[in-house]
Amino acid sequence: MLGEVLEIALRSIIVSGLAAVLATSWGIPLSLKLVTDDFRGKKFILDVFRALVGIPTVVVGLILYFLFSRSGPFGGLRLLYTPLAIALGQAVLITPLLVSFAYQALEREKGEVWELAMSLGALKNQASSTLIKETIPKLLNASLIAFNRAIGELGVALMLGGNIKGFTRVMTTAIALEVSKGEFGLALSLGGFLLLITYSITAVSRMVGGKS
Amino acid sequence: MRGHLLTLALVLGLISATYIWQVTRAPVTLRVSTTTSLYATDLLEELARKFQEKHPKVIIEFTPVGSGEALKKAENGDVDMVFVHAPNLEKKYLEKGVLKFGEIFAYNTFVILGPKDDPAGIRDMDPINAMIAIYEAGEAGTTKFVSRGDNSGTHNRELWLWNLAGLDPSGNDWYIESGTGMAQTLMIANEYGAYTISDIGTYLKLSSELTYLTPLVTQGSELLNVYSVYVVNSDVIKGVNERLAYEFQQFVLSDEIQNFIGNYGVVEFGSSLFSPANGDPDGSLREAWNQLAGG
Repeated sequence: MLGEVLEIALRSIIVSGLAAVLATSWGIPLSLKLVTDDFRGKKFILDVFRALVGIPTVVVGLILYFLFSRSGPFGGLRLLYTPLAIALGQAVLITPLLVSFAYQALEREKGEVWELAMSLGALKNQASSTLIKETIPKLLNASLIAFNRAIGELGVALMLGGNIKGFTRVMTTAIALEVSKGEFGLALSLGGFLLLITYSITAVSRMVGGKS
Repeated sequence: MRGHLLTLALVLGLISATYIWQVTRAPVTLRVSTTTSLYATDLLEELARKFQEKHPKVIIEFTPVGSGEALKKAENGDVDMVFVHAPNLEKKYLEKGVLKFGEIFAYNTFVILGPKDDPAGIRDMDPINAMIAIYEAGEAGTTKFVSRGDNSGTHNRELWLWNLAGLDPSGNDWYIESGTGMAQTLMIANEYGAYTISDIGTYLKLSSELTYLTPLVTQGSELLNVYSVYVVNSDVIKGVNERLAYEFQQFVLSDEIQNFIGNYGVVEFGSSLFSPANGDPDGSLREAWNQLAGG
């Protein structure tokens, strides 16, 4: 029993960790672009991302379900009901949250770091990399918050993973299953365990994020 | 300070307004937990609508969950009545005194579904031999089987069939425990090209989406699917509306509604999704129920 719980917890951390890494890999460059470049529709894009922070997880799950399904456009990849499908779905889900936080962090530092570097004659690329370096703790913090959102969500994991035992069963889908079995006690202890994980992540993020 | 008081007043006002709205919304609320397979066909919503035509003040709230959870909700006093199809579980809760007035109101069948090319060769076999053939094909690595794995009525039936076949598939690579509802389990089987067991109603409702699956075994007394309706016992579970639950139960068992159930789905699917129990005149349904509950 305990072995299975640990296995599920580990899978949750790996899957959602991959999601956070993916989302960071495209979310940070995007945020940087939004901070350092001025172009038409920038405000609009930002507003869209802010609105999407609250997107229902099942909506993301549903859209990707249609794409990954055997009869969908990417059906040939046989991604549906695999751990990778969950990671991709969660990465999409948490991108708006990550971009919102990262944008805020970068924007705040921009006045001091980026503009100073530019005024000292740095190239745009050099100024940008300085800006990123200066903001790393806060960006890491954004990734960790996004990870917490990923590991705690149910809709994507259920729709794209299918809660298959020993393969795509993660903490949240396991909790939902125990509830549906009428095993409320076990569901509650799994829930407590999930809280412990997210709390630890938050504590870590507090340490690396400094005062924020 | 004044600002804080104002905020506090606003919050308290909102909470009480919401609460008042909730409690006055429905003069009488009947809370019903039901197996997903029954709810997914929209039959219960139809029955509720018909009941409300006669009792306009009653609001019926359905919680569609697996039979395991449906019964647990009854025990916790969260519902007034249950619609389920897991005789072995029902029996446990009857013995605990949680449920009373058990009545079989409808039945249909479970079907064993699989990929169209049928690698295990089970087409038109009897259910037990079909399970054996699936097991052997699974061991040989030519097929997979998707189990609900969620203590639902369908899952209990599947385990019962394995048991009758004298096999235990759990832990094998080819035995996939989906841990999800019937609809999603069917979709997983469809996606994997695997075998699975479903109630006929959910399958028919979804069949247009399940392009890779086909019903292979549909005959056999072991596949009889018996739906029962229970009233939660107010002597044991406090705060449940036993009287109203009983009234709705009797309504479901009435000739008019039994007739309606027998015709439900004919227009949409070409055949009815359920057969009405019609009071189980020859006792065969109760006999089957006893067999399933004891096994």
